Amino acid sequence: MMKINTTKHNERMSTQDLLLMIEAAVKAGETEFDIAASGQHDIGGPLWHPDGRTLKFHVTNAGQRVGSMCLPNTEIIVEGSTSADVGWLNSGGIITVKGDAGDTAGHCSSGGKIYIGGRAGTRTGSLMKHDPLYEEPELWVLKNVGSFSFEFMGGGRAVVCGVDSEEFSSVLGERACVGMVGGVVYVRGKISDYPADILCLELDADDVKFLKSGMNHFLNAVEKSELIGELSDWQQWKKLRPLTFEEKKPQVLPDLAAFRKSDWVSGGIFSDVANDDFIVLNTVNRGVYRLRVPSWDNAKFSAPCQFFCPIGIPTQQRLALLRQGKIDEALKLVLKYTPFPGSVCGTLCPNPCMEGCTRGKIDESIQIGALGLESARVEIEPPKVSTGKTISIIGGGVAGLSAAWQLARLGHCVTVYDDAAQIGGKLAQVIPHSRISQDLLKAELQRIENIGIKFIINCKVDADKFNEICDTSDAVLIAVGGHKARYFSWEGAEKLTFGIEFLKTINRGEKPHVGKNVVVIGGGNSGMDVATSAYEQGAESVVVVDVMKPAAFPKEIRRLENFGGKIIYPFVTKKITDEGIFSDDGKFIEADQVIVSIGESPVLDFLPDDPAIKKFRDWLVADAEKKILPKVFAAGDVIKPGRLTDAIGDARLTALMINQFLLGEKITPLPQKKIVPSVNLSKKFFEKCHHCDLPDPMHEHLRCVSCGTCRDCKICLNSCPEKAITRIQHDDGSLEYVSDESKCIGCGICAGVCPCGVWNLQDNLEEIKMYRTYEAS
Amino acid sequence: MEAVKVQDLAVNDLPWKIEYNAERCTMCGSCVASCTFRAIKVEVQRKSVTVSEANQPEPIHRQLAIPVIKQVADINCACRGCGMCERVCPNNAIRAVRNPDNRRNLFSNRPIKRGGRTNLNAQRTLDKIIVGRISQMTDPSLDSIRHTFDIRSPLGRILSPKELPFAISDGKLVANKKTPPVRWIYPLIFSDMSIGALSTRAWEAVAMAAAYLNERCGLPVRMSSGEGGMPVKLMESDYLKYFIIQIASGHFGWNRIIKAMPRMKVDPAGVLIKIGQGAKPGDGGLLQAEKVGPHIQALRGVPKATLSSPPNHQGLYSIEESVQKMHLSLNAAFGFRVPVAIKCAASSTSVSVYNNLLRDPYKICGGFFIDGIQGGTGAANEISLDHTGHPVVSKIRDCYNAAVEQGAQGQIPLYGGGGIGMTGNAAADAFKMICLGANGVFCGKILIQLLGCVGNEQGRCNACNTGKCPTGICTQNPRLVKRLDVDKGAQRIVDYVLAFDAELRKLMAPIGNSSLPVGRSDALVSTDKAIADKLGIQYVC
Repeated sequence: MMKINTTKHNERMSTQDLLLMIEAAVKAGETEFDIAASGQHDIGGPLWHPDGRTLKFHVTNAGQRVGSMCLPNTEIIVEGSTSADVGWLNSGGIITVKGDAGDTAGHCSSGGKIYIGGRAGTRTGSLMKHDPLYEEPELWVLKNVGSFSFEFMGGGRAVVCGVDSEEFSSVLGERACVGMVGGVVYVRGKISDYPADILCLELDADDVKFLKSGMNHFLNAVEKSELIGELSDWQQWKKLRPLTFEEKKPQVLPDLAAFRKSDWVSGGIFSDVANDDFIVLNTVNRGVYRLRVPSWDNAKFSAPCQFFCPIGIPTQQRLALLRQGKIDEALKLVLKYTPFPGSVCGTLCPNPCMEGCTRGKIDESIQIGALGLESARVEIEPPKVSTGKTISIIGGGVAGLSAAWQLARLGHCVTVYDDAAQIGGKLAQVIPHSRISQDLLKAELQRIENIGIKFIINCKVDADKFNEICDTSDAVLIAVGGHKARYFSWEGAEKLTFGIEFLKTINRGEKPHVGKNVVVIGGGNSGMDVATSAYEQGAESVVVVDVMKPAAFPKEIRRLENFGGKIIYPFVTKKITDEGIFSDDGKFIEADQVIVSIGESPVLDFLPDDPAIKKFRDWLVADAEKKILPKVFAAGDVIKPGRLTDAIGDARLTALMINQFLLGEKITPLPQKKIVPSVNLSKKFFEKCHHCDLPDPMHEHLRCVSCGTCRDCKICLNSCPEKAITRIQHDDGSLEYVSDESKCIGCGICAGVCPCGVWNLQDNLEEIKMYRTYEAS
Repeated sequence: MEAVKVQDLAVNDLPWKIEYNAERCTMCGSCVASCTFRAIKVEVQRKSVTVSEANQPEPIHRQLAIPVIKQVADINCACRGCGMCERVCPNNAIRAVRNPDNRRNLFSNRPIKRGGRTNLNAQRTLDKIIVGRISQMTDPSLDSIRHTFDIRSPLGRILSPKELPFAISDGKLVANKKTPPVRWIYPLIFSDMSIGALSTRAWEAVAMAAAYLNERCGLPVRMSSGEGGMPVKLMESDYLKYFIIQIASGHFGWNRIIKAMPRMKVDPAGVLIKIGQGAKPGDGGLLQAEKVGPHIQALRGVPKATLSSPPNHQGLYSIEESVQKMHLSLNAAFGFRVPVAIKCAASSTSVSVYNNLLRDPYKICGGFFIDGIQGGTGAANEISLDHTGHPVVSKIRDCYNAAVEQGAQGQIPLYGGGGIGMTGNAAADAFKMICLGANGVFCGKILIQLLGCVGNEQGRCNACNTGKCPTGICTQNPRLVKRLDVDKGAQRIVDYVLAFDAELRKLMAPIGNSSLPVGRSDALVSTDKAIADKLGIQYVC
């Protein structure tokens, strides 16, 4: 036994000196110490006897961490109370404190036994652990412990006996066992809160066995063996242990879908204004939920050729028929629109159809004019049925004849009156023969006659005749055109020659007077006709003047220039003298003949003096149904001067309205189709064609883009990723492509690849009845 | 030869370009079918080449026409970079890439409108602040997971102890007068996004998440309605107690709110008077006609039209009036049982407004919400979004300090918003704001981002105003609304808030606070000297 008094003559031994002295003594073989300490730390460990014998310490007035890091075979008895951290990191020692222990008693101990004969402070037993290779650590406390006790405890057994602790709401203090993951705490007495992952259980047999076997040792050690009876009523005990890892289920909260269905406002908080099934759609969808829908808009739009043709001839359909090998149908189709495919389309028309042609943006326009010539001599059958309705047409020019052609083919009985000796109007009377084959013209005029139209020529319609015609006809069409030369009251206007008369004279086979130096006023096509005819009649020089850039077609201007003619503009005529013509800004052109060709106005002297007849200057104004009087219609130049094709187109529309009138139907103008948007056409399919390789007109279907009209190429059918498109061949020979909405996702590949712009993609406007403004009753 | 004019708009003028790999494309059509903006289309491309395969020139001509996906060069169909095409593409053949050379702004003939946040002032003060005081040897820190925390903030007017109407009666302390209503709520408020700005599904998902966090997770989260009214069924339910009803200058939705009053079983959590918002201070709410569906017309009591709320409450002409008249009416509306707070855009004048509210002798203002420049919006003029506004951080600090000087801190709770969570972590933002003096924060944009919104501050999507929201969040088009999964969206919000809660503790623990560290600016440091000086926190480097 080594006795150590740590104070001598009021001098205190330092912790270092004390611990070194004890260590030296142990090495020298000492096993028992009686230490009168004065607050020195860490008494008792870590120490071991060289021969493994037990070391015994009896300590009074110890400082903190008495018994820290104790190894097995160390026994420490502390008289009275002691400070914090008793048995800190104790690894096997038996440490007895007969009085109270300070804070953190048994902190991190992993072996041995710690007996506290009174209370223990805050965080007692925190982070105790159990290494399975060794015995469990034990911590026995006679009374109670402070708050945060057994915090983060990982193993071992703690016993809190609750003696003399009735005044406390919890013998474990507040917030006990927070973060505890292992070990067990036996407790007798009130406890308050403990975390949710700690179980508070009754003792089982093993627990009782442990407590029974340990309690005597403990009570003897802290000299309280008289309490054995009081503490052996196991009914008063509980044990706290954490859930094991296996028992700990991650806290599973109900999912939100379940919450919505069982707890949330039934049907959703918007169910008064929204009909929502809460089903979640794919980002890509079919049917009603597609963002966009395709439509097969065959022939919904005009091809540019059709759109820009004043007659509206659907050339793309002619080419479609050629593509299908239906040559006869293809050649006859144009005759539904005009009786003059050869004279006008193929000869006189500058072919605005070709200017807009999509193919022209690839290489060269489709040869539409030439295609017209192919139909010039195609014969058609007279109508098989007759409506019995009689219609009289005054004027046998392009407008009158076109209307007659349309109406006769619809089975009406048509009579055409003309004051000339032959039908054909300006085509025959005015247009120089050099510009049009008379054979061709004759053939086309004959074709008109052949379908059963009655012509009354050399018949000047006057007021009486007009009344008679009106009385005897179901409908009357005025298509007298313009034959009265227009001019202004220039000084010397009486010296003017009228261009129209000049040309008519020539076409009659007579020779008109022609000057040496001729000036033609007016740079339109008829001005060019006059000027070139003047050359042909012997003029030496011809100058065409106009107030603005001449409106004649380039072809006509070139013809004049080939003769050596000149065009001067702007030239505003001021006066005409025997010497020539003066402009208002003093220009003078020498001329011995001035011919005016600035247009013609209609001669309407046969019309009654009826205020219902409306006019704009010299021209008639028809109403929306093309009527000027209840059954009198008007078409062509009598309404507005224009090109031949304008007259043919106007006559056709008027004829269709007359047909409706005659049949007693509601008169509705033919709806005007919009032009196919060029972006919808896939021109990239078409390889450029060298000029040398242009096909003959009858094979132009090989180049035609078929704007707006399905060419039945089946590329949509093959490209649709969902196989939603079906091609349907109807019994009547017509064709249809249909997209199945139950398959289509609205991707628009069909529209994107369609060469013809027939497939289009629109926003899906089908209503989804999801929202409303009031609660359904 | 292509016919292209230099001044024509081309795809390389647009903010986003479609990067397309024809070799990978299977032409399944999914990208075009899913694009709500019609920014891409199918087109045929031609490859017309003359090749020679012989040992001498023997030209063979080959023409190949192939379908491809192509970007539409049209300002009205400009790609917004939402990435739906990439998302649905099975073969990684397509994606939108940001075009740094875009000239979009030069092609508009009217002010550009969009949703989202400022794209120009996206840099944030909060990211220059660090939680720099970590308790180690000086004071005890807490264990964020295992210790317990009290994370609640007041909504309502707090009286100073000496103002408490207590008297001693028969030896007991009794209240002899009504005190202003105060709710203790979670310091993260789901901020005001209107029914209309949001789809019904999106609004419902946020609302459901709020209710769930209360009912199942014990977090007293509150949601503000926005100015488009409240769903009637919600007002008739017990969940109303989790909702703060907003009144803004358009007063939209109050037709139905007032009608529902007799049927309310519980009081709402509060009333928020919206004076202005951070994204577009000086502007009222804006709901483009594209989004005014029949249900919105009903809830708001207006026909289909573009709904522009006035820039001001038309009956208010001064701070005093807004305090007295507006607060009084709305306090009265719910029998003085419900706290009434006010929300303004952060501004150079915010402190004056706060001082004025603090001085109000009737103690009627229950909270001051300051919304910063980085707040989001469903629709605004881009010029407002990018060039007007005021950062919120220093304003919260200034207001808090102003209150401290008067010994009145905490009496009118301060809530800061605008960009909370913008860089991903709302908990860090909230913590820093609280340390600077806020009682809590409010957030909106991050909620819809949790629902699936792909918009960001680098110009991505931001199409909230168009009615073409690809995620079904900011649209009333049923085809798009039905893309949104309410349950999944709400779940994401719930999960995020639970993580927020854990992360907030993770910051409270090291500074040793088990309750919210309001005004604990000592916990913060900044590596930016100017910010440190302005906010009165430690400058560190």
